[in-house]
Amino acid sequence: MPANVAERLSAVGTANALELRGVTRLFGALAALVDITLTVRPGERRAVLGSNGAGKTTLFNCITGDFPASSGTIRFFSEDVTHFPPHERIRRGLRRTYQISALFTGLTVLDNVYLACCGISRGRFSLLRPRRNDALVASAENLIQAVHLAGVRDQLVSELSHGQQRQLEIALALAGAPRFILFDEPAAGLSPTERSELVEILTSLPAHIGYIVIEHDMDVALRVVESVTMMHNGRIFKEGRPEEIESDPEVQELYLGGGHHG
Amino acid sequence: MSRFIERHPAWALVAILALAFLLYLVLATWPPGLEEVLGRKRVFLTALINGITLGGLYFLVASGFTLIFGLMRNVNLAHGSLYLLGGYLGYEFANLTGGWVLSLVIAFIIIAALGMVLQFTIFRWMEGQDLRQTLVTIAISIVLADLMLWRWGGDFYQVPSPSWLTGPVQLPLVTAVRSSGEAVYLQYPLVRLIIFAGAVVIGVLMWLALNRTKVGMLVRAGVDDRDMLSATGVRVQLVFLGVFAFGAGLAGFAGVVGGTFQSLQPGEDTKILLASLVVVIVGGMGSIPGAALGALIIGLAEQFGSVYMPTYAVVLTFVIMVLVLAWRPQGLLRGS
Amino acid sequence: MAVEASRTSGILPASAPAPTAASSLPRYPALWLLALFLLILPAFGSDFVLIQLFGWTFILGMIALSLMFLGGYGGMVSLVQMTVAGCAGYMVAIFGTSAVAEISLGWPWWLAVVVAIVIATLFGTLSGALSVRTEGIYTIMITLAIASAFFYFTLQNYSIFNGFSGFNAVRVPQVFGIDWRAAVPFYYLTLFWAVIAYLAVVYVSRSPFGLALQGTRDNARRMEALGFNVTAHRIAAYAFASVIAAVAGVLLVWHGGQISPGTAGVGPVVDILIIAVAGGMSRPIGPFIGALIYVLLRTFALDVMEAVGLDGKRFQLLVGVGFLLIVLFSPDGVLGLWQRWHRRFLAPAAPPARGGVR
Repeated sequence: MPANVAERLSAVGTANALELRGVTRLFGALAALVDITLTVRPGERRAVLGSNGAGKTTLFNCITGDFPASSGTIRFFSEDVTHFPPHERIRRGLRRTYQISALFTGLTVLDNVYLACCGISRGRFSLLRPRRNDALVASAENLIQAVHLAGVRDQLVSELSHGQQRQLEIALALAGAPRFILFDEPAAGLSPTERSELVEILTSLPAHIGYIVIEHDMDVALRVVESVTMMHNGRIFKEGRPEEIESDPEVQELYLGGGHHG
Repeated sequence: MSRFIERHPAWALVAILALAFLLYLVLATWPPGLEEVLGRKRVFLTALINGITLGGLYFLVASGFTLIFGLMRNVNLAHGSLYLLGGYLGYEFANLTGGWVLSLVIAFIIIAALGMVLQFTIFRWMEGQDLRQTLVTIAISIVLADLMLWRWGGDFYQVPSPSWLTGPVQLPLVTAVRSSGEAVYLQYPLVRLIIFAGAVVIGVLMWLALNRTKVGMLVRAGVDDRDMLSATGVRVQLVFLGVFAFGAGLAGFAGVVGGTFQSLQPGEDTKILLASLVVVIVGGMGSIPGAALGALIIGLAEQFGSVYMPTYAVVLTFVIMVLVLAWRPQGLLRGS
Repeated sequence: MAVEASRTSGILPASAPAPTAASSLPRYPALWLLALFLLILPAFGSDFVLIQLFGWTFILGMIALSLMFLGGYGGMVSLVQMTVAGCAGYMVAIFGTSAVAEISLGWPWWLAVVVAIVIATLFGTLSGALSVRTEGIYTIMITLAIASAFFYFTLQNYSIFNGFSGFNAVRVPQVFGIDWRAAVPFYYLTLFWAVIAYLAVVYVSRSPFGLALQGTRDNARRMEALGFNVTAHRIAAYAFASVIAAVAGVLLVWHGGQISPGTAGVGPVVDILIIAVAGGMSRPIGPFIGALIYVLLRTFALDVMEAVGLDGKRFQLLVGVGFLLIVLFSPDGVLGLWQRWHRRFLAPAAPPARGGVR
């Protein structure tokens, strides 16, 4: 379908990176997401905030296809991906990180990132070892640099600190030309130093990569995004710029004042 | 059942037709044409009932195996050794006391206690390490096999059945009609029928216990979601101990049963273990109704196989297993 | 995700000492010394030492190595590897020459060997395909059932497998004017293939395929999320392991000169697992260490036991108890013991030892 491809390519520059229309997700009788409509521009960086159970991670799962949406449509760079399996969405440049690190703990840092780079390339069944100047190895090295893990490149993941594992999680999401990334609580369990390192990593991502970040730590969240979506009980109830959200009385009452999130 | 009919009307029809044909085969007097194909009716009927009763024995062993596996993810490869040990112990006690029922009870209790000891001293410390547990059970089976060989040698043993159980009974099933018009009824060993009835009773009791009692519900919930058990604050270790004891005890119990209508000898442990494996793989791992269905299928396959294709009798059961694995890797009666 | 990982912990999951092949390259002087020793062994070793000890060790080690590849890198403990070897051995006897002239087809030895390896590999791959669709620990059950199916089939089938008696007088061919049945050539033949298999496993473990396999071991769902076909990788791993087991099977039937159902009975099938676990499943050298211990025990334990006043008949008890102790106290087998000792006395700064089989 060349016409289709041409349409997609011409749309890349102008279309929204992510466009959700009336997305609802039911678990039996329980509605985890209700009629979510959300648009994110290419390169835009947005935080999704809300208390536990507000539906943030379910939103991610619907966008990546880990749980398909019960109704509604999801467009990724103007292509309707609502019924695509997860790996098809990954091929189109969508990435995610997990709340609980999902890494290959028996392999080294380099091997982890290398695998992520392989996943979206050809030759996954190759029995031949990569050569020293292999392009995939080189890109893996670059990513490790980008998430400040060059010092532990050859260590086993099981020997890394929690913070380093979170950084590696980001590196896996950066593999293979992502266009949009979903970060699920990247700062969870990090020390203050590690948090500032995380902020640095996120803000220094290439400008064309947009992302949504779920984060409880407002300090982190509001420093790395330009827009905020507030969720409550599976619905969106407020959108705006970080400073608007921070000073909104309703938000204060419902979320920031609540105090016991996290 | 009605849901199955709604969902798969064609399969339901096939099943009903097959059942009707089976009933015809059992009840009708066979016309000569049929006898040419299937041989004499007495042979067929005997194979059928042998298969069903053998299925009863397999169910006794496999239900304990599947219960332990379902709850604890412990593939107890020493299950066959517990069976054989239970059988030998039953033999000793039956000879000592003369009480067959008593020997059943004693074998159950001793093997259950052994199971408790194993769970308490070994498996409790490797929870979640399912491979390591399995390796331990292999080691235990090797040790037990050699200890039993040491004590009981390589001879055949048969648990003496009590006098009230010996001898054949006449079943109300006509095998043939004599030229004089007189019907010939099937003669069948009473002990096998009683044992089968016992297996059914135990199966039903287990089902009731699992579905109608609080502890049973907990165990079932634990099979579905093991983290739930600890999350609800249940003393997981106690439940595990109880289930391991019960599952092991069943193996010992089945050993006496098997020792009564088959025989006990070295190697029987492996045979029974393999039968349980196949039963559980076919029926669905961790499922009691699955164990019942699997046991019936494998019992029948073995008996009919040995009558109608004697060279490949054992292979037939494995063919069934491979087909099930290819079609429904999770087994016949296990969701998702 | 973490919950799932702990639940399906197949073998050597997450925190096992990663089989990083880089460290098993012959970098250590000890390994070079070992290589030298094995090369010049025929200069002073008797025929018995060459064939009955080392030849057998190499063959069993290769079969256990194929299990180590699946278990250590893929997290799949397959009990069908001995059966794949047995299958290859049978095929050599059936397509080649043996004393059972009415069955053996008498094809040229090289053709029979190639066909045998192809058929055995197909058999192993199919067995793998049947077992990989279920989760971790089911593998052990399904492969054990398949292995015993093969055993019973060979036992009951007379037209192809010649039933209980199997095949004897399966001879090693004479090639290049060398009698490969003689002790020294056969020793080098087995050594050669064992080294090839070892190097192949070490090499592949660092290839994209090998890394992906280890990825599926650590976190299959994440691998799928990355765009990998986990099932296809697992089946391919079975195919690779089956080739190694099949080659070993050819050597096995030449080693004994005969093959019968008992060759791949339940006992030998479990013995291969014991060898791999006792040696250590985290590195490709482990299975060979395990095989050497097994062969030494098999050969000398009876005499030793009787010499110290024990009943030699209780050999199985010794094996069982020994295996129990290893699984209980050193889940990563002899390799694990050695690493622990090494860390304690030679490299105190190294990170602490981690458990193996979980």
